[in-house]
Amino acid sequence: MSGRGGYLASKVAWAVVTLFVVITFNFVLFRILPGDPARSVAKDPRLSPAAVVALEERFGLNLPLFVNTTGGSPLDSQYFRYLGSLAHGDMGQSYAYRDKTVSSLIGSALVNTLWLVLPAELLSIVFGVLLGLVAAWRRRTWIDVSALSFSLFLWSLPTFFLGIILLFVGANLFDLPTAGSGTIGAAYASPWDFLLDRGRHLLLPTVTFTLVLLGEYMLIMRSSVIDVFSEDYILTAKAKGLSTFRIIRDHALRNSMLPMVTLIAINLGFTVSGAIQVEEVFSWPGIGALTVEAVAKRDYPVLQGAFLLLAVCVVLANLAAELLYGWLDPRVSEG
Amino acid sequence: MAEPNRSEPTLVVEGLVKRFPARASLSDLLHRRRIPPVEAVAGVSFSVSGGEVLAIVGESGCGKTTTANLLLGLLPATAGRVLLAGSEVGSMSRRELSRVRRNIQMIFQDPYESLNPRMRIAEIVAEPLRVHGEAGTTVEEAARVREALTQAGMTPPEAYLGRFPFELSGGQRQRVAIAAALTLRPRVLVADEPVSMLDVSIRAEILNLLRALADEHGIAVVMITHDLSTVAAFADRVAVMYLGRIVEHGPTAEVLADPQHPYTRALLSVVPVPDPAARRRPQILAGEAPDPSHMPAGCRFHPRCPVAFDRCRSVDPPLFDVGEKHQAACLLVEGGASRPAPD
Amino acid sequence: MTAVVEVSAPHAGLVAAPRSMLRTVLRRRMGLVGAVMLLIALFVAVFAPLIAPYDPFANVHISITDIYHKPSAAHLLGTDDGGKDVLSSLLYGARVSLLVGFSAALMSLLIGGVIGIVSGYRGGRLGASLMGITDFFLVIPDLALQIVIVAIAGQSLVNIILVIGALGWTTTARVVRAQTLSVRERKFVFRARAIGAGDLHILRRHVFPQVLPLMMANLVLVISLAILSESTLAFVGLGDPTVISWGSMLNFAFSRGAISAGAWWALIPPGMAIVWVVLATTLLGTALEEALNPRLKRHHLEADPHAEADRTRVGPPPPLPTPGVEAPILQVRGLSVEFEVEGGALRAVDDVSFDLHRGETIGLVGESGSGKTTTVLGLLRLLPPGGRTVAGQVFFDGEDLLSLEDAELRAVRWSRLSLVFQGAMNALNPVRQVGDQVAEAIRTHEPQIGKAAAAARATQLLERVGIGRRRGSEYPHTYSGGMRQRAMIALALACNPDVIVADEPTTALDVMIQAQIMELLAGLSRELGMGTILVTHDLGVVASSCDRVLVMYGGRIAEEGPATALFGDPQHPYARLLLASFPDIAHPERELRGIPGTPPRLDDMPFGCPFAPRCPSAFDRCRTERPPDYPIGEGRRAACFLLDPAEARRG
Repeated sequence: MSGRGGYLASKVAWAVVTLFVVITFNFVLFRILPGDPARSVAKDPRLSPAAVVALEERFGLNLPLFVNTTGGSPLDSQYFRYLGSLAHGDMGQSYAYRDKTVSSLIGSALVNTLWLVLPAELLSIVFGVLLGLVAAWRRRTWIDVSALSFSLFLWSLPTFFLGIILLFVGANLFDLPTAGSGTIGAAYASPWDFLLDRGRHLLLPTVTFTLVLLGEYMLIMRSSVIDVFSEDYILTAKAKGLSTFRIIRDHALRNSMLPMVTLIAINLGFTVSGAIQVEEVFSWPGIGALTVEAVAKRDYPVLQGAFLLLAVCVVLANLAAELLYGWLDPRVSEG
Repeated sequence: MAEPNRSEPTLVVEGLVKRFPARASLSDLLHRRRIPPVEAVAGVSFSVSGGEVLAIVGESGCGKTTTANLLLGLLPATAGRVLLAGSEVGSMSRRELSRVRRNIQMIFQDPYESLNPRMRIAEIVAEPLRVHGEAGTTVEEAARVREALTQAGMTPPEAYLGRFPFELSGGQRQRVAIAAALTLRPRVLVADEPVSMLDVSIRAEILNLLRALADEHGIAVVMITHDLSTVAAFADRVAVMYLGRIVEHGPTAEVLADPQHPYTRALLSVVPVPDPAARRRPQILAGEAPDPSHMPAGCRFHPRCPVAFDRCRSVDPPLFDVGEKHQAACLLVEGGASRPAPD
Repeated sequence: MTAVVEVSAPHAGLVAAPRSMLRTVLRRRMGLVGAVMLLIALFVAVFAPLIAPYDPFANVHISITDIYHKPSAAHLLGTDDGGKDVLSSLLYGARVSLLVGFSAALMSLLIGGVIGIVSGYRGGRLGASLMGITDFFLVIPDLALQIVIVAIAGQSLVNIILVIGALGWTTTARVVRAQTLSVRERKFVFRARAIGAGDLHILRRHVFPQVLPLMMANLVLVISLAILSESTLAFVGLGDPTVISWGSMLNFAFSRGAISAGAWWALIPPGMAIVWVVLATTLLGTALEEALNPRLKRHHLEADPHAEADRTRVGPPPPLPTPGVEAPILQVRGLSVEFEVEGGALRAVDDVSFDLHRGETIGLVGESGSGKTTTVLGLLRLLPPGGRTVAGQVFFDGEDLLSLEDAELRAVRWSRLSLVFQGAMNALNPVRQVGDQVAEAIRTHEPQIGKAAAAARATQLLERVGIGRRRGSEYPHTYSGGMRQRAMIALALACNPDVIVADEPTTALDVMIQAQIMELLAGLSRELGMGTILVTHDLGVVASSCDRVLVMYGGRIAEEGPATALFGDPQHPYARLLLASFPDIAHPERELRGIPGTPPRLDDMPFGCPFAPRCPSAFDRCRTERPPDYPIGEGRRAACFLLDPAEARRG
């Protein structure tokens, strides 16, 4: 079926183009921002001209920005060098941590963030879908009203504030750890102890994250289910003599998940900003905390790397959502 | 088709063609397949004089609505000419076009959708005047709005001026749309399925109103419809369209009583008649009209035609004269001999 | 569904009356609460200097005892780590939040509005590239970018507003674009173009007024996002240090040991203040959006509070069968349906009775709002919630459908009593294969049939209605309108029902397709000996395919009779006039006459005969009394006082 193949190809093409735009934007952004330490150092009047040249060569600052018209290969420019090193996974050295590469820093931070984000996303999707379904089905009953109020309240809570409340309660009443991903200097007797310690540290941030995401998922799911329940084919299913359970399972669930798929993907951008806040509050060594720290220390290579990583994640998530959507909804992919 | 005893036709259409570029899929591009354009209107000619009602009849997808849009200049024609009161619509500059366009106005199918829900009736009816800079003073404008509403049967007009469309019934809304079309005192009205969304009991009044506008104000009316039975009581002439072509054209009574094209015959035979005693033999064509991107060779009707023969597969018949003002595009009437309908 | 449309015809996304919008919003509890909450916040922001007990900008003499002072009479919400009064800071903080929220949101609205309208109205390459830019900005993690820009450009209030505003327009652009796109396709815009109006006129007079309310609703929601952004920036230490904001209050308290000090009063109030304004704007914005896009009031699976009442109702037993005559398969007795509306109930179907025999086709004819669709949905117990049968019985093979338990009813549905919906466009599930949907019906009622066997039978059924073997595994959207309707018929036949109800099965189809469908339906019901109820407004269709006809008007049956008799000699004035207004191609010379006036609205039903206001022969009694059914010969009746023998004597 050429329709389906064409759909696939066009979505992948879109993702590739967006990735390039993102990389270019990232490149340009960090060239136009003032205060790049490398450039400031190179402009230091106390340096000898030879030292300046050496520095400029080291950072490639002597090269033209995009296309080399001064001789040599036209591709020998800052931009294409950047692309070239990206292709090798090389994002440069951190300014703040001189001994670490950007890739290793953001790599380990990303792993920590995933520990946080994945369980929270999963939990909030499951509960958001269930809650939204029940609220829509039992529309205008007390169940719906309370679920709706709960979700609107959650939606209005700033992530960091929810984190602070949970931290306050958890630390003062339940003696839960307030910072980090594990007890510092702890020696674990068994892997079980390690997991337990990790779990105790993960509990509050995960709950915070789950609750923050839950509100919106529930709201969207509810209105999507109400829309689907109002469709004529639901009436057909009812007239066919299907039980309510089967109508929901076989006719409503898949259709009402469609807007959710898009939302979850778009939400990954929001998940990132949520991660920044949650990681700030709980001192979780993830990509968000790394970003904030890099801003404070003007660690541009790390910032640039983190930025790129976040954007790439969102692009890929969007692509995954589009493909999933195309699989769920035959109308989209077969035209 | 010149009619010596009448004045020059108000609207003349000659060889009108509209092709839409086909959308190529990715695989078409990769395989460098050339996609022929879709011909929605394939050489349509007719004329309408003041006071006359012409009905263009056909099934959905036959090109009748595209034809209407071409008449109004809402779409550029690929080929052919539209002459409105002697001047050619297609070749005009924007400004001239806007000046000429006031002479041809359109009435749409859906009176629930075609009126802006946020505008009052007075504004809706006055809008064409304002658009064409003819509103004049407030008093003049109000007078013309009242005149148009009265002509459209909305009496007394004062009762409706301040209302919103949702406060009116479907029939009243359609009258407002007609009133708006009348404010510019056009010479041609194009009505696209003007009654198909209305209740049966309301339809006759709207149709009678359009007929009266033709008879009393000398307006040329082009009605686009899928419904042959409304045509019967209402139009002077009828043009039957199939896949972008007029396949039969003639005075209504003659076409209905003695259809010459097999498609017209089939179409007539399936029109439901409100009389259970009338046992007719409907001649139901199998399948659906092909979409214009897969145009059959030869006569475009031959794959569904019950009386097709060999030559139909290769020869695309033009309109042959079968009566004084009656033509049909079928090889069976090539000699012009009007065969009596079978039965 | 039609039943709802017949009550009122809301056009989704349409603002009916411009001025009523604010009233609609405030009438919703959500909107009212949000508006009041926002007004309180505005009041506090404006009058902060007057109501704050202390000046938070004044230098405070700090002693060690003042740090994180508990709430007291002097400091209602305690003090922060600098010994400052929390309440005063809180009141002043409203100024920053609202200032940033409103100005950033206005900026976003301008950018997003222009981009949305231009890309939606123009379309083409410009529209596509603008949309590409918007999609790209959606991918950028905006908080991270905000942090970077504010950190480098400087932490001033102006910079914060500019950054939030410049990055927050994407949702507005998408919403506005979608609305512009749909408005652009609307018929009234098309009509304006046909009048000869230019783009500027159309944008100004037709597009913008339709988009503006939505932009306002969106603005309110964007305000809440901007307020959240500002507080988050302030919380990560990137607020304007010269002003007090709730986010920076939290930042200071959090980073200076409020948690370990147990000083909840330094944390909870600023946090709750943010929640307050965000909740206020969210509630208001949501209410605005709902006022603009009213959803259907109810959905099909909503629990019906009156369902219980139906089951416990005990009515008279089914009418005794006449000896020697086969009992009707379906007997409807005194069916009345009401729709709940604000402040009461509207009667859509009033005391409708009729019989249907096996192998018989009856036509239920009427104009929009006559109650014909509601009648059949009522007897099938498929009314949309909000509608309920308030009286009557529906005997199906001797059993009252209206008093069956849910499980019993499910067993009867489709296996014995099935339905062809109006507009099969939406009656088939778009994400399931057509054949699969037919097989599902078979397996539901005959679970002993295997999957493969059910699929095979589904294919057979589809072939029978002229849908090829392979197309059964396709999705409904690949079908033409006529094919969908045929698939719907195959679906309705899946379990060999005794009765089939076809609700406007050919509306919106071309005459040739209509003829195909009607021939198919008639042939099948004759062949299978089913009883058929055909609901339609088309007298021609009725005449050619029905044995008996029921003419409905204003929720009642005006006249019933055998088709030949009724069409030949209609007795009710409405039936007579309706026939006179229906064009007959066999008699083109006949003059068409309409019926003056319009069908009655449910909320404005005449007291006596519903047709009296339009009836040329109405007299006083018609306006004060409901005419009962008068028998007029073999199997015929009409509800008109003109047929009352007493009136005839008097007249």
